[in-house]
Amino acid sequence: MQAQHDNLALSVTALTKDYPGVRAVDNVSFGIERNTVHCLVGENGAGKSTIVKMLTGALEPTSGSMAILGSDYSPRSTQDARQGGIGTLFQELHVVDQLTVLENLTLGMEKSRFGFLIKSDLEDRVTQTLAAIAPSIDPSARCSTLSVAQKQIVEIARAASSGASIIIMDEPTAALSEREVQRLFGVIRRLKTANVTVIYISHKLDEIFELGDNVTVMRDGKHIATKPLTEVNGRPELIEMMVGRSISHDYVPRPGVRDKVVMSVDNLSNDLLKNVSFDVKEGEIVGFYGLVGAGKTEVARAIFGADKAEGVVNFNGHSKMTSPKQAIEKGIALVPEERRTQGLFTELTIRRNIPIMNIGRLATLGVFRPERERSVAREFVKKLGIATHSIEKYAEKLSGGNQQKVVLSKCLYADADMLLLDEPTRGVDVGAKSEIYDVIKDLANDGKSIAIFSSELEEVLGICDRVFLMYDGEIRQEIENGSDIDINTILNVVTGGGSRDNV
Amino acid sequence: MSAASSNTDRQTTTQTGDRVKAFFKDYYIYMVLIVVVVVLSSANLDKFPLFERGNFLSERNIINILRVSAPILTLAGAFTLLMISGYIDLSVGSAMGLSAVVYAMLVINGVPFVPAFLATVAVGVLLGAINGFLVLKLKITPVIATLITLSLYKGVALLLVEDGVSAIKSGGGLKMPGWFNDYGRDGVLLGLPWAFWVAILVTVVMIIVQDRMKLGKYAAATGGNPMAAELSGINTFKTVFILYVLVGVCAALAGIARASFMSLGDPLSGDGMELTAILVVLLGGTAFSGGEGRVLKSFVGALIIMSLTVGMLTLVPAYFQTLVVGTALLLAAASNHLVSRKDG
Amino acid sequence: MSNTDVNSSAVTGRRLQNDDRRLSDEMFITGLVAAAAIILFLLASALVPNFFQFQNVVNLVTNNWAVISLGVGVTFLLVSGNFDLSVGGIVALAGVLAVWFAQASDGANPLSTGWGLPTWAAMLLALVCAMLVGALNALFVVTLRVPSIIVTLGTMMLARGIAQVVTQGSQRNTNLPSDFGTLGNMSMFGTSIKLPVVLMAILIGVAIFVERKTIFGRLTYLVGANPIASHLSGVDNARHVFKLYLFSALVAGAVGILLASEFKSGFSSRGTLMEFDALVISLLGGVAIAGGFGSVIGMFFGAIVLATVTSAATGLVLSPDWQFTLKAIAVFLAIMAQTWALARRHK
Repeated sequence: MQAQHDNLALSVTALTKDYPGVRAVDNVSFGIERNTVHCLVGENGAGKSTIVKMLTGALEPTSGSMAILGSDYSPRSTQDARQGGIGTLFQELHVVDQLTVLENLTLGMEKSRFGFLIKSDLEDRVTQTLAAIAPSIDPSARCSTLSVAQKQIVEIARAASSGASIIIMDEPTAALSEREVQRLFGVIRRLKTANVTVIYISHKLDEIFELGDNVTVMRDGKHIATKPLTEVNGRPELIEMMVGRSISHDYVPRPGVRDKVVMSVDNLSNDLLKNVSFDVKEGEIVGFYGLVGAGKTEVARAIFGADKAEGVVNFNGHSKMTSPKQAIEKGIALVPEERRTQGLFTELTIRRNIPIMNIGRLATLGVFRPERERSVAREFVKKLGIATHSIEKYAEKLSGGNQQKVVLSKCLYADADMLLLDEPTRGVDVGAKSEIYDVIKDLANDGKSIAIFSSELEEVLGICDRVFLMYDGEIRQEIENGSDIDINTILNVVTGGGSRDNV
Repeated sequence: MSAASSNTDRQTTTQTGDRVKAFFKDYYIYMVLIVVVVVLSSANLDKFPLFERGNFLSERNIINILRVSAPILTLAGAFTLLMISGYIDLSVGSAMGLSAVVYAMLVINGVPFVPAFLATVAVGVLLGAINGFLVLKLKITPVIATLITLSLYKGVALLLVEDGVSAIKSGGGLKMPGWFNDYGRDGVLLGLPWAFWVAILVTVVMIIVQDRMKLGKYAAATGGNPMAAELSGINTFKTVFILYVLVGVCAALAGIARASFMSLGDPLSGDGMELTAILVVLLGGTAFSGGEGRVLKSFVGALIIMSLTVGMLTLVPAYFQTLVVGTALLLAAASNHLVSRKDG
Repeated sequence: MSNTDVNSSAVTGRRLQNDDRRLSDEMFITGLVAAAAIILFLLASALVPNFFQFQNVVNLVTNNWAVISLGVGVTFLLVSGNFDLSVGGIVALAGVLAVWFAQASDGANPLSTGWGLPTWAAMLLALVCAMLVGALNALFVVTLRVPSIIVTLGTMMLARGIAQVVTQGSQRNTNLPSDFGTLGNMSMFGTSIKLPVVLMAILIGVAIFVERKTIFGRLTYLVGANPIASHLSGVDNARHVFKLYLFSALVAGAVGILLASEFKSGFSSRGTLMEFDALVISLLGGVAIAGGFGSVIGMFFGAIVLATVTSAATGLVLSPDWQFTLKAIAVFLAIMAQTWALARRHK
């Protein structure tokens, strides 16, 4: 057993990670061959991130083992992982803009005597590594002058020259242009010849086929398959493995949708959006489905006036919003993506959080009516089933699901005609989830229009009347929800297949 | 291949624009110095009694300005490195006053120059270490922590001086030795005193620290991208702590310089120094968000401010000084901000 | 990533129990500060002869009306997440300008010659000038996003600098209309309590009302607690902070004018270190510089703590030089104690 693993750059055996109530990774075993690009694919929540966290020492496995080149590997921290030879390319950049490329490459590894930096072969080594993978980057340039892609390459070079034999890349192309992606791929291919194994995680299946040697497919925390990509029969088979089930969704067409168009959006564009056009009817629930980086959040923020964008928006006769304040006044409310940093005032109580978006309603001539505030808070705590024994509980202390209900209450109290819900049930337990869905449906039945921006397919197919599939900042396809939905087609679209301009 | 070449084209075109901007960013501080000197030199100073006859660039005048500038020139380098690391020290003025008092007390009680000097520097180490402890160990916000020590150091300095006396000086049976103000006043080389040459030495050391030592690089990394610094295995705690101690030492040296220039140990002699230091460092292009800055530019910034304030005294009455320094601080902060924002 | 955030107990207790009346953290800290003030006062009474007198209690407040008033604006700004160190400079500026505007225009020398405006007009104009400094603060902080500590240090010097230029580095106190001293010296209700003290009391009352009972007060907390969330919740952060700087400058200007009236002079060094004391009493009173936490009433008790400590020190015949050391120790202890108490409470 051990002997056959000696050839593997990395192997995991019976790896399992439990969270309270959830098994995020379930008895996963696979091996990664040396000097290959090994792709890790799966839907959101399939367990990829959890595996990566265990590999980099950020999480400890509940059970199971990992081995590098056949010898046991159990990191306790990111430092351990570095020493074990695993480098990580994080989604947020970790280069120091103010230093030069060379200074960044040697950061933390400098040779010194009495605190003085001394010349060593380190500089030559890292310069050579950089030259080998990206000859166009000048080592003496300041990092602030580099593009995002170039900074990523600097990070890769740093990992490679710090002795990493395995580099993990989690969605590295999310913020890159097409040309930059090609340059990054060139770098990754050259890494293989420099004795580096790459673990590549991406939702963009075209990238996987273009770049990868082997692929491991994950689904619902379980290992589905590991095989050479040459043996995978194109996108359909890969998607089949990723989905592998009929998504059970009990969507029932609702009668409440009226013909009146409440919002129409025409050619919405900015840095991350390309000509997004759609409309939403009164009483309708529409969904925006796409994977990480597809541009869902950007659509929500642009409509809400939080980000600038070109294009025409018509909402009940009002033109495009210029600020969240204006949007709320005109009847649009947003549940933001990051509830703890963008939606909630964690150091305030539930009572103080709920009325914020429509605070004027609680006051007469600017003077607060505390009894009204309390009754509003109680009303929403009851209505949404927020688990607390006091409206004076600090939002900080609530569980994820209850925090999200508070954020939702904020929006409901704004009494908006249109609700934008960005990842409304992320990190929310099953019970709270279905309660939130019930609230959403009730609202729609009352004639409100709802837009859900979600990376969970079940969620979108469960309650949305129409779904817009997004990929790379654009709406690739619009589908009517119903019984004839084909999951494979949807996944094909949101992973970049069957696109208009890419065929 | 074609993609690569068109890419380099794009780089060169943006580079021309960037180069002009970069050139301006790199050299504006020297241009400002030249402008200030030219303006002050062309003003007719004969009418004003403060400078003896002759123009701004007269030897005596230059020596005068450089002697007065010794404290801020001493302090600017370490202060720059601290701000580069993303931290601040508002207690430098009080630390300077306390050091001046300690030094003067030692000397007036008969301690010879070298031991008194070294003991005061040791006090500087202590004061800096206290700041580092409050900020890094007790995790009090830098601004508040160093406001506390601003008050504390000033308080201790005032308590060291007897009631009813404003400063440590000859009197009450004790006499300040005659050599006391040699360090700050007596020309030893090119007519300039030790205090000035120590300031130069300190600045050179700080430039070496910035360019040739791990500490300087780690300061930039800590201020520029703390996450990256931590992930690279840099001990940011140790880095910033050492910088606080360095600032403390330089404040002590500045206190000694000021005490010997004024021939007394005045607890309030460093008042406002934190503002001058911030002004000088911002003028030199150090970003308050951290990461960016050059010791040498802060040094030049200090020369500009001192030329302005001393030179100004010849053109307008002394009571214009606060107004000018305040305005300069606001302008420096605004322009510094605009420049760094363009950088992205 | 946030999947880790799974709610383990899906039990939803829908009953609302009655501990809605539980003290908020702010009131908890305020209580602590008030208790500290009382204990310190009793301690001082035990140690200092003749300290335990009603008049002494009154004096603790009346002697500090200026700093306490400034503390109101500073507290509001701190709660919104911003510093204001310019208030001391504005005190000097407003006082000097009010005197200058009111001085008759036929003085014998430049320092006794002013604009000859009637007292009310001079004071009003000085108040407007004070608010201009506040607007400048807001401009730099809100529009240019320069850190507020640096901006307000700069405007502090700017304001004091103008005061110094107008007074040529000293003061203006001659050639004033006879009614210039009325406001600052007016005794109220037949007692020795002067108008500025009454105004301070009214200001505190209004401030507490605004802080606790109005939308304006509520927005101040929101902006300080989480600026991103408040922006996305439809709050115009920039405009609110702008108003707060104007308010703080207005208070500082009024304090400066009242002081000028009390002493019938415009002195360019007046208000020196008042910005520092206003910050100190806010911190003593439990205002968090991170924003979103604190109260005016806490600041008030913080002022009492500081006043008790300093006047007890004077009573113990400590030299006035002790004040800086005492302030440093007090702030340090207060910050550590409050951090510790809140951490314990939330355990």
